[in-house]
Amino acid sequence: MPSDLYKAAAIVGAAESDEIGYMSEPKSNMRLHIEAIHNVSEQTGIPISQIDGVFAPGVASQIAEYLGIHPKYIDTTSVGGCSFEMHLHHALAAIHAGIIDVALVSHGQMGWSVRHTGGRGGGGGRPAADPWSGEAQFYNPYGFSGAPSNYSHAMNRHNYRYGTTPEDFAHIAVGTREWAMLNPRAVMYSAETNPAGGPITVEDVANSRLISWPLTLLHVCLVTDYGGAILITNPDIARSLPTKPVWIAGAGESQGHSNMLEMEDFTATSAAASAATAYKMAGMGSDDMEMAMIYDSFTVTAGITAEMLGLAPRGEGHLLWKDGHANPGGRLPINTNGGGLSFNHSGMYGMQLLVEAYRQLSGTAEDGIHGDPGKQTNAQSCIVNGTGGSLSVTGTVVLIAD
Amino acid sequence: MAEYTKPIPEPDPVTQPFWDGAKVGKLMLPRCTDCNRVHWYPRVICPHCHSMNIEWFQASGEGRIHTFAVQQRAFGGWKDETPFVTAYIDLNEGDRMATVLRGVDPEKPEAIEIGAKVRVEFEPATDDVRIPFWRLDNS
Repeated sequence: MPSDLYKAAAIVGAAESDEIGYMSEPKSNMRLHIEAIHNVSEQTGIPISQIDGVFAPGVASQIAEYLGIHPKYIDTTSVGGCSFEMHLHHALAAIHAGIIDVALVSHGQMGWSVRHTGGRGGGGGRPAADPWSGEAQFYNPYGFSGAPSNYSHAMNRHNYRYGTTPEDFAHIAVGTREWAMLNPRAVMYSAETNPAGGPITVEDVANSRLISWPLTLLHVCLVTDYGGAILITNPDIARSLPTKPVWIAGAGESQGHSNMLEMEDFTATSAAASAATAYKMAGMGSDDMEMAMIYDSFTVTAGITAEMLGLAPRGEGHLLWKDGHANPGGRLPINTNGGGLSFNHSGMYGMQLLVEAYRQLSGTAEDGIHGDPGKQTNAQSCIVNGTGGSLSVTGTVVLIAD
Repeated sequence: MAEYTKPIPEPDPVTQPFWDGAKVGKLMLPRCTDCNRVHWYPRVICPHCHSMNIEWFQASGEGRIHTFAVQQRAFGGWKDETPFVTAYIDLNEGDRMATVLRGVDPEKPEAIEIGAKVRVEFEPATDDVRIPFWRLDNS
């Protein structure tokens, strides 16, 4: 039985900044936000002035000010890449409660370009750990250097516990690349558009540069620029628009830890809990999901998360790709945009998941660029799972087509 | 003493007993006097039962490797030590610490065993701060 929140709100549009990936010139986080917001307003016909809830990690207030609007609901939840799935969860509740009618969830991050501007334009992220925090005293002294240096510990533990290998997880990179080769906006679309693009093999993944053993480069997501925005409205508004609504059937969020120092099981995340909440709200289960958008910061993130979402038994998530089910033509398409591994990953990738899920379920996944069937699937339901931090925090959303 | 170029922790009033112990080679851990469970990192509240009755005691300094990775790339002083092996250690008394493993060959990660016994040691960073590291226990 679905809950009262089932289909209480819909995503009515999803848009990107004018340019994504590797940019012709650096655009600040704010410019990327604004381009995407302007584009989603044009797409849906909803004037920016009608937005009454603003959701963005760290910077909702600054965005509202930049747009010159005065929202009734300001949510700046910033817990990494799953922030956007959580924003959607919060927006659903606020719309259902009648507090707001039109929610904007927005992302802008010059993940790649910021390396060339000395940090300019890329502000608004999370602050450094306080010197008196547990993280600063008992984690920072040991030379960990960002996400890859953490996630490698999870891959190793999964290999130990389930007898899996890095090569098993390499199939996730290979299958996801197949999707990218159907997406002209993917950074790794083809060898013509990028020397590193085009098809890859398990051997290519294994032989790529070692980053943090057992992770090699092709187990690791891209670093790019991206702006993305979605609009969520109540059902009355959703039905009055030219764009197709994609209904929020269920949503949930949960947390295992903040710092990996407190990760209890290195082969599991809170996605099991956030998905259980979302499935219950939707009155649906993993068997009802016809596709999935799963945060793939690393191959191991996608493999473990597939297990957590109930799409595969524990220890066997990678088989969805190895056996071809998740790949183009498979029974359960996963990461049809080419993923964080081969499409785009700006740092907080949860928005890219939502934009692609909207496009798939509204029948607009071809982006009008190619004109051939490309990556468009015929899925009518999609589970979206964002993972933030170091396999720390998760937001899960179940979406269904109109 | 050669200058220590890697991040140096700053003890605070809550964690001072740990750093006082480390300075004289003792691994001090926080334990709840109501549920008797150890937690790590140190807190003013027990994350297991939410009692605020926390005591410090001297632990065995022994544990086992829970998981590990080899870092090829690092920043600051750690850059000079790459590659090195980071690990999470299951403490004999309960809960888990992060560390850099000593006594292992980062070029041969296949030879390092999850579950292997390790023992704590303390490396001087300043006159007042000694940092815990864990070494493969071959005894």
